[in-house]
Amino acid sequence: MKQEQKHGKTYKFGMAIDLDKCTGCGSCMVACMSENNVPFKVDESNKKDSISWMKVFKLTNGKSFPDTEICYLPRPCMHCSGKDSHNPSPCVSVCPATATDTDPTTGIVSQIYTRCFGCRYCMAACPYHARYFNWWDPKWPEGMEKYLSPDVSPRMRGVVEKCSFCFHRYQEAKDKAYVEDRDEINEEEYQTSCTQACPAGAITFGDLNNPSHAIHQLVKPDPHHYGKPRNPKAFRLLERLETNPKVYYISEKEWVRKSGDNYLEGEWEKVKNHHG
Amino acid sequence: MSEKEKSTELCKEGEKTEGDSGLGLGVLFFLIAFVVVFLSGWLLFPKLLYSKKEQPFNFNHVLHTNETGSCDTCHFLREDGSYNGIPDLASCMECHEEEPMGDTEDELIFCEEYIAKEKEVPWFIYSKQPDCVFFSHAAHLKGKNSMECKTCHGDIGESEESKPYEENRITGYGRDIWGKSIWGIKKHSWDRMKMDDCAECHKEETGSQGACFQCHK
Amino acid sequence: MKVDRRSFLGLGLGAVAGAAVSPAGMKLTDDSSIMTQNWFGLLPVPIDGEITFDNSVCSLCKGSCGITVKKVAGRAIKIEGQDDHPINKGGICLHGIAGLQYLYDPSRIKSPLQKIGDRFEKISWDDAVSHIAEKLTAIKDQQKPESIACISGNDEGSVSELFKRFLKVFGSNNFYSMASMDTTWETTASKMHGKSNTLSFDIENSSFILSFGSGFIEGWGSPVHCFKTNAARKKKNVNLYQIEPRLSNTAAGADKWIPIKPGTEADLALGLCNIIINEEIYDITSISKSNSSFQAFSKMVAKDYTPEKVAETTGIDLALIKQIAHKFAWADKPIAIAGKGRGDTAGDTKEFAAVHALNCLAGNINKKGGTWVSRKNNYLKFPLAKMDSIAKNGFSKPRYTSFETLIDKVAQSSDSDIQALFVLNSNPCYTMRDSDKVIKAFENIPFKVSFSSFMDETAKKADIILPTHMFLERYEDIPSPSAGITKKTVGLSRPLVKPIFDTNNAGDAILMIAKALKGNVAENFPWSNYKKCLESVTKDIWSSLSDKGFVVLTDKPSYLKPSTDFFHVTNNLKSVEAQGDKKSFPLTLISIDNVRIAGGEIASSPFAIKTVSDKVIKGTDILVELNPETAAKARLAHGDKAKITTPVGSALVKVNVFEGIMPGLIGMAQGLGRTLDNKYVADKGVNINKLIAPVIEPGSGQDAAWGIAASISKV
Repeated sequence: MKQEQKHGKTYKFGMAIDLDKCTGCGSCMVACMSENNVPFKVDESNKKDSISWMKVFKLTNGKSFPDTEICYLPRPCMHCSGKDSHNPSPCVSVCPATATDTDPTTGIVSQIYTRCFGCRYCMAACPYHARYFNWWDPKWPEGMEKYLSPDVSPRMRGVVEKCSFCFHRYQEAKDKAYVEDRDEINEEEYQTSCTQACPAGAITFGDLNNPSHAIHQLVKPDPHHYGKPRNPKAFRLLERLETNPKVYYISEKEWVRKSGDNYLEGEWEKVKNHHG
Repeated sequence: MSEKEKSTELCKEGEKTEGDSGLGLGVLFFLIAFVVVFLSGWLLFPKLLYSKKEQPFNFNHVLHTNETGSCDTCHFLREDGSYNGIPDLASCMECHEEEPMGDTEDELIFCEEYIAKEKEVPWFIYSKQPDCVFFSHAAHLKGKNSMECKTCHGDIGESEESKPYEENRITGYGRDIWGKSIWGIKKHSWDRMKMDDCAECHKEETGSQGACFQCHK
Repeated sequence: MKVDRRSFLGLGLGAVAGAAVSPAGMKLTDDSSIMTQNWFGLLPVPIDGEITFDNSVCSLCKGSCGITVKKVAGRAIKIEGQDDHPINKGGICLHGIAGLQYLYDPSRIKSPLQKIGDRFEKISWDDAVSHIAEKLTAIKDQQKPESIACISGNDEGSVSELFKRFLKVFGSNNFYSMASMDTTWETTASKMHGKSNTLSFDIENSSFILSFGSGFIEGWGSPVHCFKTNAARKKKNVNLYQIEPRLSNTAAGADKWIPIKPGTEADLALGLCNIIINEEIYDITSISKSNSSFQAFSKMVAKDYTPEKVAETTGIDLALIKQIAHKFAWADKPIAIAGKGRGDTAGDTKEFAAVHALNCLAGNINKKGGTWVSRKNNYLKFPLAKMDSIAKNGFSKPRYTSFETLIDKVAQSSDSDIQALFVLNSNPCYTMRDSDKVIKAFENIPFKVSFSSFMDETAKKADIILPTHMFLERYEDIPSPSAGITKKTVGLSRPLVKPIFDTNNAGDAILMIAKALKGNVAENFPWSNYKKCLESVTKDIWSSLSDKGFVVLTDKPSYLKPSTDFFHVTNNLKSVEAQGDKKSFPLTLISIDNVRIAGGEIASSPFAIKTVSDKVIKGTDILVELNPETAAKARLAHGDKAKITTPVGSALVKVNVFEGIMPGLIGMAQGLGRTLDNKYVADKGVNINKLIAPVIEPGSGQDAAWGIAASISKV
């Protein structure tokens, strides 16, 4: 802790996605691809090798016509906190190369492409399928590499990549704070590309440690229970795995909240009302 | 020694027991090879490893710092916190619109090749870090732990001539990243700019060598 | 002395020892590890530099959203929504974000092209323009100036006006724009509230939205504006009832999804009118009982659209119909909208009229949260066009009722009345129904000039292509669509990057052609270039337009309360039906407007295609939606290959079994099956327009087909 204090403020950045607001338009996916130099190839219909840091899943309630309901669920990297520094997120704990790590000042799970040697343990460990392997070198059609952003380095074949909560935007916000002699960055100064792009305003991003931030007020994280949401309409994916994600979902619909985990028969009834 | 060599000979040559002259030649060959490889490792290897590239023309830092007073007149932090690096042609022209030029050969090149053609000068950047590195000048220049330019960049500000840029043929990095010494021996803080050097200073100044994402993108 | 193997061993050992104490070994190890990390320098290293932001307008669709382009060292690297823009308020859709993939696309047309035999060959702008001028002069010399035509993607804006003006002073009244729901709303407004009117919907301020299949969050109107409105609606607890046969995203996000038999929407609307009139819960302040058209209308709905009858035709529960009628009539500021999906095609006249009758009964005309009836706002001030006698004569010749009817006629005979055609911002060979017929019609037109940036289906048929700048390379005024948004806005598209290829603004291209024709035509185009022209025709607003990037022309409803004529509804008694005989084609094929697939003249970007579900595209196959019941009847399972046949064509597809679609329907995504020269987007799936036959409505001349009878079988 002493070290972190010397570094300045420590944040715990997190995201809350209101599934009732999400329309499944896909802006977040493309905003992410365009921000983070995500490549594309001729056939992207094999979703297992189609790199999409932010991926919107379509859930259905399983009922037949006309009682069918659908709900879209955007899935970035969950930036799991794990239980403590000895039990970090699943990916961090298995990485043999220290290519993925939890950034102590932001809580963001980093991925260093030049460090990664492509063993894909992290992909096997990640229960959210948030990690993608580069089976091929990225290729941009001639001239299209002109739109690549210098903020994120393109990834080579043989390494794993994933959502970084647009960490470079945090770096940029911090740089601005430095030149303005501020110690802290403001809530609106650091927002991820998907948050900014979502035309429905379904995504809220901010510091889970800061009670004045919108995300804190929205999910009411419980500091005594690894940040479990105290808002009964909020939930995290696969809560029982105790990965303690920093991405929260909100829905008024019970079937949607129930689909956030695999419940045994009768189990949901016990937990549904004291989810947080 | 000779015994050892004998045994080597016995091992290697099997039933052949004669041929002392061969052994002597072996030593000689050993020595020749040793010296050749050793010397080329020290002398030839660095020359082969780095390709020398001359800057487009000489730049006199002393002249400019005398005029402007400090580094940050030309190398400054922008309002958004980013760092401008080597100034572009337009920035040069801010002063040179007024200042006459063309006295020296280098100024002439600048005028004719770049100003007249409105072309940016393709400077080689001695301290250029690879694409995977994020380095924030703002973090190092502002705040409590602000640093001198010299700590990392050495006395380039006192140079009157531009030294040739030496590019590592294998990695594409500039020689200043590894350091002038081929062994990577470091006498000054600015002699080397590798990750370990960053980490060393971070450890001293902040108590931690820093998380990966702090410097990598 | 003898040199033997031992000596060489010495040599080897010496070299190893020498290397061990020299720095080479360690350095090489380090360097090679760095090299492998950087993957041999094969990856592009994006150049860093100063970050700047510039505003412009996106014109990939009609939405006309404000965009902010992020640039690094002058290079455009990202498109974001413009925060203070009145239309999209910082929001942006996925196609807009991917805009740079269009700009930097190497498959763009890089210079003017001329078709020689079956191939296109590069020619200079000068040669292309003089070639066109020659052809046109020959047509004029034959005293047949009316035989040139132009099809444009938009009716408004200075570039379209320049083309219209060109045709006019040349002597042709054959300027057409691609029909959309805006066209049908205009007809509805003109017929019900007086000529030259148009309709727009103040949904932002409504308190209840009744949508007849409008893809409110799938690209209808000004898409991002609607996304924003929808988000705001949820906050304010404004209910949306979505009436359509398939669980679309809009239906999924609505407060109630009311599945309806497709093609019976007008019946439902009229049934609701009947209940509202019968129970006298309409707005008595705006509707006078003595109005003869209202009387006739009341009588008609009372007779033909009793709730029981409507329940049977539409398949909707009687009680639910009554509930909708009450919810609508009792709401403070209700609004009813129509235009299926994105509203990219003209709608069924009867359906639109019936839906608008609901608005009239609710008395929401020219009120906050209601429907606004207003004249089209023409902010462009062109000098009067001067015509010579040939032009006057040609211009007075009768025109076709629509481009649909023109194509229909031209397709029938190779001895076509149309000698030359300009194609601007449109791709009729892809977007029009029964594309094979459209292509045939194109082949019957002797001379076609395309102004496309891409080698699309229509450009391929052209004789000359004059490639247009992409929206980030050109100046242009971009008016907001009329029906989708009440805040009539015009935005300014600005050149933010230097043209990548040898392209030009279409406005400049038509100026060049006009000048090459000399004489009267040239005199009508006195501007030296398009930008000068734009400045002069937008004189009144140019300073604020160029300063802020947009001008809000109107944001209030007209204070006038137009009279309502219900005869238009009473007289339009026939709904458009799916063509084809039900015996051989027992199912109905409907198109799905998927927000992630661009359906119009421009194909999707590689990024957009990447976001499309593998239940829509798999490899090069398109998947069609079938209800499990329908699938079981046809003995099809999820993923099966199948063949769809309709009266006009057939296609091989795969099956996606989806609970959310009504039994008896086949749902197919619109916007696929492109034949561009871009492997990331082209040759995926089939173009649904090849399978649907147009249904040309006698009155409007527009194609109002919404589907077609079809059959599906396993292959």
